[in-house]
Amino acid sequence: MALIHTLHILNKTPGHARSLQCMDALRPGDALLFTESAVLALATQQHPEIDVPVFVLAPDALARGLGQCPDGVTQVDFPAMVDLTAQAQTVISW
Amino acid sequence: MAATSLQNYTLVITGAPYSSQAPQTALLFARAAIAAGHTVDRVFLYGDGVHLASALCAPPSDETHWASEWAGFLKNNAIPGVACIASALRRGLVNEAERKRYELPASNLLEPFIIAGLGEWVEATVASSRVLYFHAGD
Amino acid sequence: MIDQSPYGTWVGREALDMAFSLAAFDQAVSILFTDTGVNWLRAFQQPNDIAQKSVAKNLSAAPIFGVEALYADAAACRRYGLTLDNMIEGVVMCESSSELLHQFAHAAFAG
Repeated sequence: MALIHTLHILNKTPGHARSLQCMDALRPGDALLFTESAVLALATQQHPEIDVPVFVLAPDALARGLGQCPDGVTQVDFPAMVDLTAQAQTVISW
Repeated sequence: MAATSLQNYTLVITGAPYSSQAPQTALLFARAAIAAGHTVDRVFLYGDGVHLASALCAPPSDETHWASEWAGFLKNNAIPGVACIASALRRGLVNEAERKRYELPASNLLEPFIIAGLGEWVEATVASSRVLYFHAGD
Repeated sequence: MIDQSPYGTWVGREALDMAFSLAAFDQAVSILFTDTGVNWLRAFQQPNDIAQKSVAKNLSAAPIFGVEALYADAAACRRYGLTLDNMIEGVVMCESSSELLHQFAHAAFAG
């Protein structure tokens, strides 16, 4: 996979002020990873226009009954999350 | 996924156990990083994250004891666990030296955690190839 | 980055400690205030009656420690009625926080 400029790791619920800031900060070449409460974004009907690759930490999604992943979102386990952080030039934890 | 070069990580935990998921996520991440051959240089506890280093947590027996889990992981992998001294003293987490200095009735720092200043964190940001933060969610 | 309002939470103060530590160890560091965090920058804060120290006073030490810049997210400032006229001195308005973030090798919150 292509190198990631900034990996944005988001662990806040959709609508949380920091979730909104995170969405504003996405730039071409970045990637977004939902962890913890942020996986609830999978359950919301309105999906904001996100032009970067979106990943979701599968154990957190499964825990919240969201094992079914919508199109365009890639499920990752912890080893794959580690890979993402290693591939990205920088990581921001929101 | 493409093979990635090996990294050395500093993990900064700012969310407290039992009020956030941060210490859990950080531990599962750290285990996966070690298993993949990466290095974890150190774990730094900051803000509410210092509660993870309390020797006095006593959760119900059917819940995971995150302080013990973390302490065991740090010992097994010889990874330094550092609690920020300013965060720790404000929140009532003290080692024996600080207990004496402030004439407090008890100390409660769990081994192998140590207490040190933010300089440790600054050094980590310079020396480690990746610094990852684990904050409280909501 | 400081995105939480002053006095009601401690996260911002601990972010300031981080920034001052980086500067004290000769690392290049700037502080970006976003969202409710811009309220740190309001002039004439008088927290005596809530028994806290003025965060604006703490911030005034930033240049002395060697913090390179204090940036304020312009949209957040507009939302909270902040202009350069009613803010503490030395703040740089930032129209695009995301563009600014991409210029830095590290970006972090304190909590």
